[in-house]
Amino acid sequence: MLDSLPYELPELVTRAPLDIHRSTVLREWVDWNGHMNLAFYVTAFDQASGAFMRNMGLGRRYVDGKLGMTFVLETHVTYDREMKGGAPMRFTTQLLDRDAKKVHLYHEMFHAAEGYLAATNEVIVMNIAYASRRSARWPAPAAARLEKLWNAHKDLPRPAKAGRVMSLHRK
Amino acid sequence: MVELDLSAPLDRHRATVLPEWIDWNSHMNVGFYVVAFDKATDTLCEQFGCSWDYTRQEIGMTFVLEAHVTYDREVTQGDPLRITTQILDHDAKRLHFIHAMYHATEGYLAATNELMLMNIDYASRRSAPWPDFARERIEKLAAAHKPLPVPEQAGRIIGIKRKK
Repeated sequence: MLDSLPYELPELVTRAPLDIHRSTVLREWVDWNGHMNLAFYVTAFDQASGAFMRNMGLGRRYVDGKLGMTFVLETHVTYDREMKGGAPMRFTTQLLDRDAKKVHLYHEMFHAAEGYLAATNEVIVMNIAYASRRSARWPAPAAARLEKLWNAHKDLPRPAKAGRVMSLHRK
Repeated sequence: MVELDLSAPLDRHRATVLPEWIDWNSHMNVGFYVVAFDKATDTLCEQFGCSWDYTRQEIGMTFVLEAHVTYDREVTQGDPLRITTQILDHDAKRLHFIHAMYHATEGYLAATNELMLMNIDYASRRSAPWPDFARERIEKLAAAHKPLPVPEQAGRIIGIKRKK
C-alpha cells in the first residue's frame, strides 16, 4: 500500500450524494436509432466514476505518475429514458459499500435541463498497482478520504434500482 | 433474411480491438466492451430480421432496457475477439440473453454482457410485440439454446463479497 501521494489533493466534497459531475452527449455517441447508444452511457458513467475517484485523490496524476490505476470489475445499467445528441447530463453518485481495495458506487444520470432520470449505473471499481497490474489496497490518503465519504453516505436510503437481478419475471 | 443458425450458443461474431477503444490504462475501455458487445447483439438480431435493415426501412428498432457487464480479463489493441450468445428467456416484446467475449486465439474469457432487449415500433418509439417473422425465429433459437446451462455470470447482483 502507498503511504502517501506525491501531489496536492483537491478539496474533499462530502455532500451526499456526490453531485459534482456534468457532461454533454457527444454527437459521435448517437447511433442509428437517433439516440445515445447504450455503450456511451457506460462511458459517460465511467467519467462520473472518475469524478468520484478524483475526489478520493486518485485522478489523472495517479495514473500519469505510474502510482496506480482503477479498473472496473462489473457494471449494471438501467436505461430509463432516451438522450439525444447535445443533451446536457447531470450525475449524482452514492457510495453503497467499500473495502480495502474496492468501492461499490451507484450513479444516476439526469437530463440536466429537463430534469428526468435517463439511466442508473451500479459499478464496482478496484484499485490496481501500476507495475503488477494486480489489485492493491487504496493508498493511505485515499483510504482516509474514503472513510469520510462512507460516513457521509452510509445513512442514505438504498436506491430502489440497486441490487437488481435481470429477469422477465420480476414483480 | 439470413439463414437461421441454430448452433447453441450462437457463435458467429468476430471482431478486433480497435486503437480508438484503448484508454489511458492501455487496455480496452469499459465503454468499448459494450460497443463490441452491441455489434454482437446486431449479429443476433440479424438472425431474426431485426437488425440494420429493420430500422433503415423504418419498420422498427430494438432498445436495450438493461445491461450488466462483468470485466473478467484485459484485452488490448489488435486483440482478436470471439463473442458467443445464449438466449436465456423471451416474451412477446422482450429478449433476455448473455454474450461471452473470448480472446479468439488465447481462448480466455475477457468479459460477459447480460442484456434485456425490447422491440420498439418505429413511428411511436414505444414498445411493441415482435413481428411474426421475428417471433418465429426467436422461438426456434430459444428452443435450441434451452438445453444449455445458465452461465454463472447471468442473474448476478452487484456487491462487494465478504468472507464469512
